[in-house]
Amino acid sequence: MAIKDNWTYCDGDGRLDQPKRQTMNRRQLFAGVASLVAGGVWWAGAKSALAQATLRSDRRNGNVFISVFLRGGADALNVVTPYGEDSYYKFRPSLAIAKPKAAKADPEKLADLDGFFGLNPAMLSLLPEFREGRMAVIHAVGSHDSTHSHFQAMSTMELGLKNETGRVSGGWLARHLNASGSTGTPLRAVAFSSTMPDSLSGTTGALAISELADYRLQREDADWMSDLRALYARGNDEMVAAGRETLEVLAMLNEFDPRGYKPEPSAKYPDSQLGKAFREAAFLIKQDVGLEVCCLDSTGWDSHVTQGSTSGWLTELLADLANSIKAFQNDLGNEMNRVTICVQSEFGRRVAENSGLGTDHGAGGCMLVLGGGVNGGIVYADWPGLIPDKLSGPGDLPVTTDYRDVLAEIALKRLGTPSVKEIFPGLKHSPLGLIQA
Amino acid sequence: MKLTRREAFALAAGVATATSLTGCNPLANRAYALTSEPITPPTAEDDLHVAVLNRFGFGPSTHSLAVIRDQGVDEWFKNQLQPNESEPDHLKFRLERLEINHLGPWDLRDWPMEAIIAQLQQATILKAVYSDWQLRERMADFWSNHFNIFSKKGLSAYRRPHDDREVIRKHVLGKFPEMLMASAKSTAMLIYLDQQNSNAAHPNENYARELLELHSLGVDGGYTQADVMEVARCFTGWSEERGFLKKKGAFLFRADLHDSKEKKVLGEVIPAGGGVEDGERVVSIVARHPSTAKHISRKLCTYFLGNPTQGVQERVASEFLATEGDIPSIMKIIFEEFKSTRTKVVKRPLDFLVSSLRALDAATDAGDPVRKSLEAMGQPLNLWPMPDGFPVDTAAWTSSLLARWNFASEVASNGLKGTTIDAKKLTSELPSDQGLQAIFRISNSAPSIQSLASATPKRELTDQIALAIASPEFQWR
Repeated sequence: MAIKDNWTYCDGDGRLDQPKRQTMNRRQLFAGVASLVAGGVWWAGAKSALAQATLRSDRRNGNVFISVFLRGGADALNVVTPYGEDSYYKFRPSLAIAKPKAAKADPEKLADLDGFFGLNPAMLSLLPEFREGRMAVIHAVGSHDSTHSHFQAMSTMELGLKNETGRVSGGWLARHLNASGSTGTPLRAVAFSSTMPDSLSGTTGALAISELADYRLQREDADWMSDLRALYARGNDEMVAAGRETLEVLAMLNEFDPRGYKPEPSAKYPDSQLGKAFREAAFLIKQDVGLEVCCLDSTGWDSHVTQGSTSGWLTELLADLANSIKAFQNDLGNEMNRVTICVQSEFGRRVAENSGLGTDHGAGGCMLVLGGGVNGGIVYADWPGLIPDKLSGPGDLPVTTDYRDVLAEIALKRLGTPSVKEIFPGLKHSPLGLIQA
Repeated sequence: MKLTRREAFALAAGVATATSLTGCNPLANRAYALTSEPITPPTAEDDLHVAVLNRFGFGPSTHSLAVIRDQGVDEWFKNQLQPNESEPDHLKFRLERLEINHLGPWDLRDWPMEAIIAQLQQATILKAVYSDWQLRERMADFWSNHFNIFSKKGLSAYRRPHDDREVIRKHVLGKFPEMLMASAKSTAMLIYLDQQNSNAAHPNENYARELLELHSLGVDGGYTQADVMEVARCFTGWSEERGFLKKKGAFLFRADLHDSKEKKVLGEVIPAGGGVEDGERVVSIVARHPSTAKHISRKLCTYFLGNPTQGVQERVASEFLATEGDIPSIMKIIFEEFKSTRTKVVKRPLDFLVSSLRALDAATDAGDPVRKSLEAMGQPLNLWPMPDGFPVDTAAWTSSLLARWNFASEVASNGLKGTTIDAKKLTSELPSDQGLQAIFRISNSAPSIQSLASATPKRELTDQIALAIASPEFQWR
C-alpha cells in the first residue's frame, strides 16, 4: 500500500514534481485549488472485505465491471479525434494527427470511425472492436468540475458527483456495492492499486492489492503460516479477527495460485502496470471467485509537454491501453460477454496546443465502453464543435454529456444496481442507449 | 561534515529518489551496535515501566528501560516534560547527514520532492527509535497528525522540514496558542490548504475551515458557515515569499491581497483597517476558546488513554482553559489517569515498526527498506492526503497485518538492508523463552502475554522473535 507516487503532476510553479521532465507550462492558475480529498482512504473497507472471507463453493458467473482510470487527464481530442473539424488542425498545428486517407490502417494517420471521428493509430488493435460493434465511444463527456485540479476532478468523478462542490459519503462504486448487498466473497471488489481508489472508499467489500502475486507472506515455509494460525487462533479482539481473515485470504489466493497463472496464448499482455493488472483481473474472472468490480489505473497522462502526435510517450500510453484491453479480451474469450470495461479520465485537455508542444488541463474528455451488451460502433456525442465561441473556460471542449449518465446506464443494465439515485444522488438520468436493454 | 549546498547537490544528483550520504550510516550502525548491552531479566515493576514506555514513548529499549528503572516512572515522566537538545551521538550523526536539517526551502528545491519526503520520513523514524526524549517524539506524532500536511500538495514538501522544527517540535510541549499561531504562519500549511493566493476578491475558505474544524474549535465547536467566510477574509494576504533573490518559502503578509474591511468572527468585531493582525486576532480568539479546550482535550485523552472517561476529559479541558493551553500541565493529568486506568490502544504502523526496532535494540539507518515497510503497512509519513491526519481507530488498521507479519519475519532474520540486530547477544542473559521476553520486556507470566507464551510453538531464537512481533499481543500498546 503505497501512496500514488508514480504520478506526475504540475506543482503550480511551472515545474513537474519529477526532476527530469521540464515543463514550459507557466500557468499557476489552478495550483491553489487542488483537492483535499485526494488519495482516499485505502485501508477503508479492506478489513470488512476480509471479514467476509470464506472459501467459496458456490460460484456465480455474474457480470463484472472493469473501471480503467487514466490518471492525469487524457488528451481526448487525440484519442478519438474529430478530424471533420478544420479548426482541430488550426488549434493544433504540431500535435494534430492526419486525416484517414483509406480504410486501410496507417500508423501515421487516424483510423476512421464514422466519417467525422478517427481513432488514434496507436490504438489500432481496438479498431475491429469498434467496427464490429463491441466498442462504443462517448465524447465531450465529463464532470462539471471547474477547478482543473487533478485531485479535485478525480475525486469528483470517483465519488460520483456533478462537480467539486458536491458532498457525499464514499465512492460511487462503494455505494453500488453497499446497495446491492453482500455476497460473502472477499474478492468482490478489487482495486489493482497501491491505494484504495476513492470510487471504492466506504464499502464493506473492497480490497486494494498492488499485485495479487504480491499479496503473500514473505516467508513461505509452512511453519510460519501454521505458527501464525496458532497465535491468531486465540481471542477475539479486532486485530485477532482481522488476522484470521487475512490468513484465509492468503490461503484462498494460495489455492488459486495467481503466480502460476497462464493466460491464453493469444493474450499478449504488455509488461506494464496496466497490462499486469488486466492479466490478474482475467485470472480472477476465470477463477470465478465472485468478482463484481475491478478498478485499474493507468498513470502518466498529464501531457503538458512534448506529447507528440503519432509517436512519443503519449502514443506509448495509448498503445499500452489498447494492447492491454485486447490481450484481456483474447484471454477471456466468451467470458468477455459478462464483462463491461469502461475507460475514463478526470478531464480532457485544452483544445489548443501550448507553447511546450503539449496541452494543458481542459474539460470535456472521452470514454470508451467495451464488452458484452454494448451498442458499439457508435461515437456517442452531443458534439459542441471546436469554434472558439463554443469552447468553455480557458478554451476547453465543453462537457455536453454527464459522465454519470454513462456509468449509471452500465450500473443499471449490467450490474443490476437497485437505484441510480443511491449511487448518483441528484442525477436526472437520461440513458444514451449504449447498453442493450 | 557539513556539505555546502553545491557539494551536496553534486552528490545527490546521481540519486534518484532516496537520500544522499547514506554511505555514512553503516559507520553509525557499527558504532551503535558496539554500545548495545544484553537484556537483563524483567522484574515485577517492569510491567508498569513497559506500559509507560509504550504509551508515552515508542516502547521499551534496553537503555530506556534502564533509565526508567533507575528514575521510577514519576521522575521519568517529569524529566520527559522538559526535553533539552541532547541526543545520542550516533543519532546526531545520522540526522546531520540529512539535507532537510540544514537547508532552507529555497535550497531544497534542488532536490526531487521524493527525496525530501524520504528524508522527512527517515528523520521521524530515527528520532522515534533513538531519542531519549520519548515523550517529545510521542507528542510530535500526535501534533504532526493534528496539523497534518499532505506533502505532495504543491511545494509544501519543501516547507515541511521547517514546519516540523518550528511549528511542531518547538511547541509539542509548549503552549497551544503559540503552536497554533506558528502553524497559521507555516508556509507548508498555507500551501497545503490553498491559503497563499487567497485575496480580498476571492477569499479561499479552505484554511479558514480547517483552522476552525480541525485545528481548534472542532466540528461541533459552535461556529457557522458565516464565521468560516469571515475568517477566510481575515486571512487574505497570508502568503509566502516568492520574490527573486528573496528568502523564498518564508511567511509573507501581502497587504495588497488583504481584505481590510470590518469582519465579525464568533461574535467579535474585527475593525476595518487591519492587516496581518486580523488573522492573528482570529488565532488568538480560537486558541483560547472553550470549544478548543474541549476539542483538544478529547483528542489528547483519546490518543493517550484509548477510551477516556467524561471526567478526565473535563478535568483536562478546564486545565487547558486555566493554563491557556499549557501542554505539560495537561499531560500531567493524563499521566495520572493512565496510572489508574489502562485501556489498550492499537499500535499504528509507526508505533509497531519503531517499537519492534527499539525492543530489538536494532542498529538501523531507517533507510528505504524501513520506510517502504511502513508504507506497505499503510502509514507513509507526511503523505496522508486529508487534513485530519492518520486515523487512530483500530478498524482503520486491521488490514495492515500482512505487511506487519512480513516486517516481523524480515527484521528478525536481518533481511532489511541497513538494519541489523544481534539476537544472540541481546538475549544472552535471559534464561528461557528469550524471543518473547526480548520483544515484550516483561515476564512470561505477566497477564498480558501469559496466553501467548503458552501458545507460541518451540522455535529457533529468530523465529521466536518474528512470532513475538507478529503476535496479536504486540499490535497493542
